[in-house]
Amino acid sequence: MFGPMTLDDIPLFSMLRGRLGYLSERQRVIAENVANADTPGYAPHDLKPFTLATPASSIQAVAPAMTSPMHMVGVAPRRGGGGVYKPQNSADSETTLDGNSVVLEDEMMKLTQARMDYDAAISFYQKSLGLLRLASKKPGSN
Amino acid sequence: MAEIKSAGDAAMNIAASALRAQQARMRVIAENMANSDSTSRTPGGDPYRRQVAVFEPVAMDGGQGVKMSRVTNDPSDFKTEYAPGQPGANAQGYLKLPNVDPLIEAMDMREAQRAYEANLNVIETARSMDSRTLDILKK
Repeated sequence: MFGPMTLDDIPLFSMLRGRLGYLSERQRVIAENVANADTPGYAPHDLKPFTLATPASSIQAVAPAMTSPMHMVGVAPRRGGGGVYKPQNSADSETTLDGNSVVLEDEMMKLTQARMDYDAAISFYQKSLGLLRLASKKPGSN
Repeated sequence: MAEIKSAGDAAMNIAASALRAQQARMRVIAENMANSDSTSRTPGGDPYRRQVAVFEPVAMDGGQGVKMSRVTNDPSDFKTEYAPGQPGANAQGYLKLPNVDPLIEAMDMREAQRAYEANLNVIETARSMDSRTLDILKK
């Protein structure tokens, strides 16, 4: 059964969505590391590097629930979206006496990087939306 | 109905838990600093004992936040000083002083401040990423 077409049916958009999901997930993991920068025995985590193959395999997508028979048929879960990415222990660079190995500077670097990557992906998303908009306009209407 | 949270919200909640924990730690440091001269009022009694904040990870929003789980006493020895005139001095005229070292407290305070700033930075970044996402709706 076919539901209405969504942006995720376009591979570029589903890839970008996967990328955005990955980056906000990474940002959450970095937030954990920074929050636990003074917790005894805490080791920092990081996500595995993003690959385009990742979103296709491990996807948990959201489908709208039908609470009334009058509703339109919901879109079936499909590719793209913030999947489950396993956090990975990062390399031990310096461990304090209480067993904590978080380096705040590294975490700040990673945070800034995640933010820049996110901005880039968002810009790309906006540009692609602009292309779609251009294609759907009446010729010459601008 | 379950509330749907974005990853940005989770990051902000985790960073906020760290802000609270660092604030609590600052409070403990303030207690230590304030009582760095609090001696015993009874002869030969123990003065103020330095306190240490202990942090512990706590599960929240599918991740690990942090909280100050308890405050323990610093078991290190007290300093002594010959001051027979003080009410807390023992029979030999020696007075026990708190085991608070202002330099250590200052270092601890700086560390708490740095961690606090780092967490504010996380919140700021999470906020800007969320608002960038909302920018897609514009135009």
